[in-house]
Amino acid sequence: MIGACKRSTKTNEAVLSGGGWQDRPVEREHRLIVRKILPGSAFWKAKERSVVFEFSEVVVAVGFVTCAGRFLPLTYHAFGPIYLLMVVMLSLRVGRWPVMAAALLSAIAWNFVFMPPRMSFSVLDVDDALMLGTYFTAALIGGLLTTRIHEQEKDERQRERRATALFHLTRELAAVRTLDETARTALREADDLFQARTALLLLSSDGQLKPHPLSSLKLRESDLEVARSTLHHARPNGRFMDDRSTADYTYLPMVRAEQVLGVFVLSLPADIARLTPVQRDLIHGFGAQIAMLVEREQLCAARESEKLLAESERLHRTLLDCVSHELKTPLAVLRAAGEKIDTPDADRRANLTEEIRQATQRLDHLVANLLNQTRLESGRLKPELDWCEVQDVLGAARRAVGRELAGRPITIDIAADMPLFMADAVLLEQVVSNVLLNAALHTPAGTAITLSAGRDRLTERVFISISDQGSGIAAGVLPLLFQKFFRGASRPAGGLGLGLSIVRGFTLAQGGEVVVSRSKAGGACFTIYLPHLDHSRVPDDEL
Amino acid sequence: MSSESAAYQILVVDDEIQIRRLLRLTLEEAGYVVREAETGLAGQNEILRRSPDAVILDLGLPDQPGIEVLRQLRKWNTVPVLILSVFGQEKSKVAGLDAGADDYLIKPFGENELLARLRALLRRIKPAVAVNLFRFGRIEVDIARRMVSKDGQLLKLTSMEYSLLQLFITHRGKVLTHRHILRELWGPKAQERTHYLRTYMLRLRHKLEDDLNEPKYFQTESGIGYRFICEHAGSG
Repeated sequence: MIGACKRSTKTNEAVLSGGGWQDRPVEREHRLIVRKILPGSAFWKAKERSVVFEFSEVVVAVGFVTCAGRFLPLTYHAFGPIYLLMVVMLSLRVGRWPVMAAALLSAIAWNFVFMPPRMSFSVLDVDDALMLGTYFTAALIGGLLTTRIHEQEKDERQRERRATALFHLTRELAAVRTLDETARTALREADDLFQARTALLLLSSDGQLKPHPLSSLKLRESDLEVARSTLHHARPNGRFMDDRSTADYTYLPMVRAEQVLGVFVLSLPADIARLTPVQRDLIHGFGAQIAMLVEREQLCAARESEKLLAESERLHRTLLDCVSHELKTPLAVLRAAGEKIDTPDADRRANLTEEIRQATQRLDHLVANLLNQTRLESGRLKPELDWCEVQDVLGAARRAVGRELAGRPITIDIAADMPLFMADAVLLEQVVSNVLLNAALHTPAGTAITLSAGRDRLTERVFISISDQGSGIAAGVLPLLFQKFFRGASRPAGGLGLGLSIVRGFTLAQGGEVVVSRSKAGGACFTIYLPHLDHSRVPDDEL
Repeated sequence: MSSESAAYQILVVDDEIQIRRLLRLTLEEAGYVVREAETGLAGQNEILRRSPDAVILDLGLPDQPGIEVLRQLRKWNTVPVLILSVFGQEKSKVAGLDAGADDYLIKPFGENELLARLRALLRRIKPAVAVNLFRFGRIEVDIARRMVSKDGQLLKLTSMEYSLLQLFITHRGKVLTHRHILRELWGPKAQERTHYLRTYMLRLRHKLEDDLNEPKYFQTESGIGYRFICEHAGSG
């Protein structure tokens, strides 16, 4: 029941641990490509350079071209295209204001330094004035256009980077199947992308904000206080998000459908002065993505627990129906027999005593099976493995079902090389006795039962098999055989249908396996396989 | 039987009044004198005041675990103790036996079983009779000469096999835990080496039992140990 809702997380483990790359070459390739597009620090390289820096770049460029031009044996006409080329190249690096400045500065420099009269602003003829005017306009327009195209391209690239990052996160998280895995993946992705330490605070059922244990950022009480206020106001808070805030970290509430699920905290690198809109968008996008996944996992968990609840209710009903019938029948017998036991007729008294004995035995068996099943399901069953000897086990099991086996010829066939084996003697005895009881109840009275044991050399295991001479097990019933509360149609009356479920559970718990087959005589044959291990030598002694 | 046990006083420590009533009924019918205690503390007081000949102790007491009562008791008293436990407590049964209990019984239990266990416990405090010959089934053990014979034919037992047999005879009717036997025969270091014991038990049964598939004398107590059963023990 529990097993059904537990989903495999192996593939993710493989990706996260890095050790399992070989398992998924496609995954590996994809991840490498993404890493190439998005090296760890790429996010922060996109930051804008200051305008002052760009202006000085412009001044230096104009100054350099002008000084260099003085040493070239060119007429002043040639400098028009040279300056134009410089402005266009500058426009690939700087913003629009610096480009305009470059156009203006270069026009002034051309006029002042190169156009005759040299070292003067006066323009001699109309040709030169026209050339200068045309140059300035061309430089301005060319520069501005190039800048615009360049900026658009830069925006495009940042958008793509953001989309890639989010796509990457989504893809990583799509395969994740538990809240813990989600948190782990999201936090690692965020760590990588933002070069930051991150923490995920989730709202627990009692209204407390609990840091997720996989968070790489450890929060102090004062940080938690900020997180709580972020949660309360459902607004981003802290560094870069609120100018008045003195907090060290950036706090993003995870809001889904008007409900705050938790707070995502980032400790961004200390040397960053401010966030560009694109970076801010990406961080918000990341927060929203994580919020969505947390919500998805919480809903999923809620649905699973609902399913579990429904399943356990169904089981409870079955259990209640079965148990009440199975308990009440022997109780009714006990009560009736108890009331009549003071009869003076000795024969009747003997009969009643036998009824009481049978009823108590039935109750005893019922309680034992219920307890065993509960032990199995509670997950608290811890087998005490120890060296066992097969005759011990078979003998104890036969004694446990002695009365039901009365009148049946029992053959015991133990291979001469049957070794000692590791098992929990008590559990194994229950396994064998349950199978024996099953055989006794489902086959005609007086038919033989064969117990055999030996070593399976092929698989290096030991086996104990119990075969009967009944009508065998119908193929259609096989898949249901080991399910709890399953009762065979041939069973006359009574029983909870727990016996074989316990057989399988106990055998698995000891590292073994149960196999059902058809016996030589046409009946059912249950074989219990257990691991075969070698024990240390037993010291010999003298006669 | 009643004349043999007339003087014996049995203390029942159990919080279930029905169990106490049932035990009183069974034991008094068999000729024992019965005292009752509801809690571990009351039980210890009773032992101190009345010094009973045997104690029947429930493991699930309201004030303290039965095993704790046993541990405290063993610090100052050696009275034979029979543990009453419910199904599925193999671990606590072994712990109880290792803590100094002499035997155990699982609820629900049969009257005959209870009386047999009690007799085996009380045998320990019977005045010692020098036993030279011990017989069970077709086997005869000459204790003085350390010789075992089956139907008059001498059997070859190794010294370890003989020590094992002797241990069982000394504690006949009582359960012996694996640890106890291993400690007695192979020393404290071998306490966990159950495969020694399994191997030797197989050999001993092979030599002494009539039907290996249905051992009559050396019975297995799953997960706990072995019990040597001999109803017709004779001495000469």
